[in-house]
Amino acid sequence: MSIPTPNKPTDSHGPITEPGPLSESQAAGESTSADHPAGHGGDESHGGLGLYLAVFGALCFLTTMSFFTYSSYWPWRDEPQVGWAFMMAVSCTKALLVVLFFMHVLWEANWKYVLTIPAAMMAIFLAIMLIPDIGLRNRMVAQERALHMARPADLLLLEQAANAAEGESHHAGDHDH
Amino acid sequence: MNASAASIAHDAHGHHGPVLQYQPGLPLSRGKLIMWLFLSTEIMFFAALLGSYVVLRFGAAVWPKPHHVHLSEPIGAFNTFVLICSSVTVVLALEAARANKRSLAKIWMLTTLILGAFFLGIKAYEYSAKFSHGIYPAAPRGLIYERPDLYYGSAVRARLSDPAILERMKELDARPEAELTAAEVTGRRRLAQVREMSMAADQQAFDLAVIADQVMPLPDDAAGGHGHGGGLNETFPWLQLPIVIPGGNMWASTYFLLTGFHAIHVIVGLIVFGILLLYELGPKHAGMIENAGLYWHFVDLVWIFLFPLLYLF
Repeated sequence: MSIPTPNKPTDSHGPITEPGPLSESQAAGESTSADHPAGHGGDESHGGLGLYLAVFGALCFLTTMSFFTYSSYWPWRDEPQVGWAFMMAVSCTKALLVVLFFMHVLWEANWKYVLTIPAAMMAIFLAIMLIPDIGLRNRMVAQERALHMARPADLLLLEQAANAAEGESHHAGDHDH
Repeated sequence: MNASAASIAHDAHGHHGPVLQYQPGLPLSRGKLIMWLFLSTEIMFFAALLGSYVVLRFGAAVWPKPHHVHLSEPIGAFNTFVLICSSVTVVLALEAARANKRSLAKIWMLTTLILGAFFLGIKAYEYSAKFSHGIYPAAPRGLIYERPDLYYGSAVRARLSDPAILERMKELDARPEAELTAAEVTGRRRLAQVREMSMAADQQAFDLAVIADQVMPLPDDAAGGHGHGGGLNETFPWLQLPIVIPGGNMWASTYFLLTGFHAIHVIVGLIVFGILLLYELGPKHAGMIENAGLYWHFVDLVWIFLFPLLYLF
């Protein structure tokens, strides 16, 4: 009776064909066939230097955009919420570019949704669940804490002190008495 | 699959029974699947930290501005740029490895390592700037007080009564004016004033605020730098008087935790790249490079969110 020999990977899972140049290294026992699905043989058609450099350029541009909120040309200095929304939009776009192109997720199969969507949902859910106990903690604060916590009034007091010192040093010409 | 018990028993080649054919459940390698599962756990890890930061920051009554805590946005933006470059180089290393250009892959990998180390160097410089101003993650090294109140006043008095500090102040007062710089001369005078005010019997809230402002002023303009003179703690580095930054302790806590954990992840990534550099970076190891690259891109991703949240918000 003939000894059953190990089978080469078949194309039972769709468009993935024979491994190609990797099969010699598999024979060397470096790894099993499950480690190198044949999809990698055609991966040179994905990506490419031009695309990566384009994404890099887009990322640099977006970083400059988010840094733009710090410059004096930013028109919405008085409404910080506009800045926050803008910065979050820029960050999400940058993240999407890195995930889709650098991590090759654009060219992966549908398992990417199974992994990323629940993780994203958990991330947002986690942040929202922290709001009642931690985000709103100053709404129902005990007196003992209220006596010691910082308030905007303290910032104003420090500003006043700074102005007084500024005025005094200008007045005295900043020399020793 | 036609093996019977008899053929199994007499198998001379060491095969024990039918050889099964395993089909991968998903069209990706085991290493990649595990790396993605690990990355989802990391997503949740950083989501917890970032979520807490967001909630703490927006729920706080008062939060320090970046220039109050000596945070430099241009340095943060430059760090972002460095990490983005390192992401590009690791992708190029992967492409080179797949195309069997081994030395080119090694060069790109080495560039990634150097860029990552550069990022850490800039982070270390930023940390040292915080530490030199007395901003540490926690007491007792941290000198931050939330308000200029009586507890702050007594902490200032305690520090000024410290024998070592008294010694140095006596030494400073003894030196002739010609030996000192202009800043030290005015600083000496202001230090004497602060000493007097802190020991005064009838302190008002405003006096304590003035003391706090003299020790370390909170600049009121982003581009203004250090306001007027930089304060006593800067002129005399040995002084290390307590400082007042409203909201500063919570800020320091979250900042150091978030950037610290991110830096640890960067260090782990650099160790992985260091180990990979010992291999031949050909198509055989393209899978390893890809997985290491996935981890590194994730580290970059976290920084992409950290940078605006910590520096620009």
